[in-house]
Amino acid sequence: MKLPQGWLRRRRVVTDLATPLSSALERELTGYARLESQDALLLDADGVGVLTFERGVPVLAYHTGTDRGGPDALADLAVAGPYRIELYELEDGSLADVHGDSPLRIEPGTPAERLAGDADLARRTREQAPPEWVGAGSQPTRELKAVEQFLDDEDRIASIREAARREAASRADDWGFDVE
Amino acid sequence: MVEVFAVASGKGGTGKTTTTMALGMALADEYDVTVIDADTGMANVLFHAGLADVETTLHEVLAGQAPVDDAVYRRFGMNVVPCGTSLSGFREAEPERLRGVVATLAERTDVILLDSPATLSSRAAVLPIVLADRIVVVLQPTIPSLSDGLKVQEYATTYGTDVAGILFNRVTEDEAIDEIARKAERYFEGPTLATVVESETVRAARRASKPLLAHAPTSPPAAAYREAAETLVVRSHRAESVADRFRSAVIPDEP
Repeated sequence: MKLPQGWLRRRRVVTDLATPLSSALERELTGYARLESQDALLLDADGVGVLTFERGVPVLAYHTGTDRGGPDALADLAVAGPYRIELYELEDGSLADVHGDSPLRIEPGTPAERLAGDADLARRTREQAPPEWVGAGSQPTRELKAVEQFLDDEDRIASIREAARREAASRADDWGFDVE
Repeated sequence: MVEVFAVASGKGGTGKTTTTMALGMALADEYDVTVIDADTGMANVLFHAGLADVETTLHEVLAGQAPVDDAVYRRFGMNVVPCGTSLSGFREAEPERLRGVVATLAERTDVILLDSPATLSSRAAVLPIVLADRIVVVLQPTIPSLSDGLKVQEYATTYGTDVAGILFNRVTEDEAIDEIARKAERYFEGPTLATVVESETVRAARRASKPLLAHAPTSPPAAAYREAAETLVVRSHRAESVADRFRSAVIPDEP
């Protein structure tokens, strides 16, 4: 996915991705977010995730580490934070070619649900999206399926647990806690 | 004889305080229960327990300005130790003193529930998990909540704290939750204590500044929390050994 450079509008480290997603929605951002997990111990930390937006609504998702797009890229990004996030703004309409019929497309509310666990933000995002972008079928049912898929991915969960254990052990030294 | 539980989740908005108060009230039928608001940066217990107007809170105790007893309030059949909401109170509070507070209260109660911060970002935020014997992980059936909950579990077990179980809260699709709970149990080192449905009753209890079990004792969510409390088999530890553990588990900041 080739994107124009754009203007950097925000750069920060967040633990909850609801913050940048709702910021993009409120400012009706056309552009993209670059998301980098700060957990260097996680396998997928090699790459960065990219989410594009049109008028605040997420359109495409791609992960450079796994080279996967669409809902799969959201799954790659759905690890425990914190994340370093950069929001870039582009001129209106400049993503029309990139978006087109891209196979990287995602349903507008899914980043809020899968990356932030924020059902209210997902609802507001869908309200702001063009109706034809909003997926058919029951959203809760689809989300629960995504949760089941997440729980079926034993390798992913093992890597989250292993990374957390290493992080806890390394911080024990700084914090003066005993490790079992 | 006491067991200390931290009610924890990696993510905010899962209903930790509602859960803490509900488990506390359910356990109070059988035990002497003390609830401590260990989330010193985001006080919540006081709003759930009708204590918004009290003068002395855990903040004053952690700032060395009041004895522990002045911040203990008998409410709803439990001893409740709320935190205050003022920024200055938060700034002056020394989280390290929580250890002494828990050790003192451990000498005179059966069960201590620590309402814990929704973050693992600082030593003070992780301290309640370190001080507890076991954690109760409060989850929502979403990917971020589950991955953060796993992270909390790994922190706890790394620091020698066991997992009492998981509790799914604010569940809307109760048909599929059984499958998700079954799959999640493979990764969590404790059983599913209960699944609690999202309910207007819970919000109404919060607005009334009452714990759910006092506001709507026969409601489905209240019944689910009672079931969770029955599943928790409280293990007693000698209070002195609890105090000793705190001393050995945490090296003081002071030189």
